[in-house]
Amino acid sequence: MSAPLVLAVPAKGRLQENAEAFFARSGLQLIKPRGARDYRGAVAGLDGIEVAYLSASEITTQLAQGAVHFGVTGEDLIREQIPDADARVVLIEGLGFGFANVVVAVPQAWIDVRTMADIDDVATAFRHHHDRKMRVATKYINLTRDFFARQGVVDYRIVESSGATEGAPAAGTAEMIVDITTTGTTLAANALKIVDDGIILRSQANLVAARTAPWTPEQRETARVILDRITAQQRARSFREVRARFAACDARLVATARERFSVETPFGGPTSSGMLTLHCPPTQVYALTSFLRDNGAEAVAVADLDYVFSKENPLFSKLAAAL
Amino acid sequence: MDAMVTAQGSDARAEALLSSYERAGYARVNPPILQPAEPFLDLSGEDIRKRMFITTAPGGDEEFCLRPDLTIPVSRDYLASSEAGKPAGFCYLGTVFRHRRDAAAEFLQAGIESFGRPDKAAADAEMLALGLEAAAHYGLREADIQIGDVALFASLIAALDLPAAWKRRLVKDFNRKSNLAQDLDRLTLGGSNGRPEYQGVLAALAGSDPKGAHALVTDLLSIAGINAVGGRSVAEIAERFLEQSALGASTRLPKEVRGLIERFLAIKGDPDEAAAELRTLSADANMNGALAQALDLFESRAGFLAAQGIDLKRVKFSTAFGRGFDYYTGFVFELTDPARTGDPLVAGGRYDGLLTRLGSAEPIAAVGFSVWIERLSVYGGAK
Repeated sequence: MSAPLVLAVPAKGRLQENAEAFFARSGLQLIKPRGARDYRGAVAGLDGIEVAYLSASEITTQLAQGAVHFGVTGEDLIREQIPDADARVVLIEGLGFGFANVVVAVPQAWIDVRTMADIDDVATAFRHHHDRKMRVATKYINLTRDFFARQGVVDYRIVESSGATEGAPAAGTAEMIVDITTTGTTLAANALKIVDDGIILRSQANLVAARTAPWTPEQRETARVILDRITAQQRARSFREVRARFAACDARLVATARERFSVETPFGGPTSSGMLTLHCPPTQVYALTSFLRDNGAEAVAVADLDYVFSKENPLFSKLAAAL
Repeated sequence: MDAMVTAQGSDARAEALLSSYERAGYARVNPPILQPAEPFLDLSGEDIRKRMFITTAPGGDEEFCLRPDLTIPVSRDYLASSEAGKPAGFCYLGTVFRHRRDAAAEFLQAGIESFGRPDKAAADAEMLALGLEAAAHYGLREADIQIGDVALFASLIAALDLPAAWKRRLVKDFNRKSNLAQDLDRLTLGGSNGRPEYQGVLAALAGSDPKGAHALVTDLLSIAGINAVGGRSVAEIAERFLEQSALGASTRLPKEVRGLIERFLAIKGDPDEAAAELRTLSADANMNGALAQALDLFESRAGFLAAQGIDLKRVKFSTAFGRGFDYYTGFVFELTDPARTGDPLVAGGRYDGLLTRLGSAEPIAAVGFSVWIERLSVYGGAK
């Protein structure tokens, strides 16, 4: 048997649950045939895939090295851990969970600081006042350095912090921090505030592909199947199916519906008997049904979609273009 | 050609260069390759971390690095020695380590550091002359000579009638490589979106007596239950808050100041022409001799350069040259060969502030330069 495609997913916690739920929605059920404690798994009913359960940080490293083909990990780790990340990996798709921002935060007492321009000025003044540079506590050393360089801030030093970074200013080990936050509650509890234009990265969990992994034709085909199912599921989730049948239904009416409600017509215009199938964004469904009824439809049926497979596979095209 | 032969050949030539420096009175030193990382990061900024080889001792958390240059190691050794504070000159030849995308990370540099000499103009000129000797030693007779003097810009800014925040900003921007002259138009102080949260308080404070305003801000912070954390004192925060209130939101640099700085930064030419233009500018702007001290040193240095046998017509001075070198305080120079890559072959200058930043209680004059042996090795040698 040829070498399988390796998909790395987080080995524990909310990230693992969310990742498994994401793949399950796409009909890709991750299973552990040899028991729950195993760190190797498979996908039910699909050959040629091996699932590797790793920490998010390890997934990032393995993606950079091309040791796995696909991985689920946060964009923050990708940007921080991999130098020149875009040359080594491709972010295929944001997965809609694991949202967090990497931000610059300063003590609330700094009432004179609102923007990065203020930080720049304060940093220079601090050096003159204290004869040393302002310290920034963070575990995001590379993101911080690049962001500060782009903002023109030079008078600072990075203090590496591997945990409880938000406590550093109060503890006196740093003047300010760069850290990840979801709601800002922890920052506020530590009397810190986010600098207005200090959002370095809006991160979420991503499906990431390794450019340098060995991509055999079989592995590419497996990747195509996986991405096809994910695309079909995503497309299904972003539409409701709306069906109606009425005599007055014609091409002009469909054109109006397309324009006003952003509907798609997966099977073309109305049939000769006036049967019409539309795919409509969920927020527009009610307005669309009113429109159809106003124009003569007696009844309009709306249903959820499980999958919408189509000829195009934009996610696979993205991967193919990068390999 | 065999790479080993090339390396040994260039070493022999570099050794001969060092011998000539020793004959000129510079004691040869060879600081340890493994250095504490802190002084390099502190002096050059976090950005240099990308290019440094950093390591830690097993079980320790102090960072060490393979020396990325020799100026800081030589300076530290001098400071630690019994000669600290006394005039002393050193020369070196050794490997330095910098991560580079297209070239080996380990390469040879030679150079000279001269400490504690009170005759600054003469010392500056001697460094440039010794740098030219290095180029000539490798067979490059007509190196391009680019010089600058960062003390001139510092004196200009110090003399301007501007709020402290503006002076900080301008000096810091000068130290960056981007084009300050082009930035001047866009330069604003204060957040670009104004400060709606505090606008009322700021307006109320504007023009009030500083002591009372200071007390008010201090009280405001304590009423809000905010203890100053993060190293800045309440006084510091209040002071800058008031400074901002005096400036108002989004202040632009006054037009006439901008014009003056632009005119200053446009001055270039040989040292004599430039000095004349600078004297005219100083008189036009009624600067009452604020530039005089820096200009006197500049002209005296030009005299010593001529005395060293350097044709001043070959020397390209620019007021804007020297930006991007954080710790230089005066004379800066670079020798290049525009017919080749244009990369610096010899580069140096004066850094009177360096030894204080490395821990010296008293300021100690310092000037020196480094020679890129690998870049000079491509030349055929002295004829």
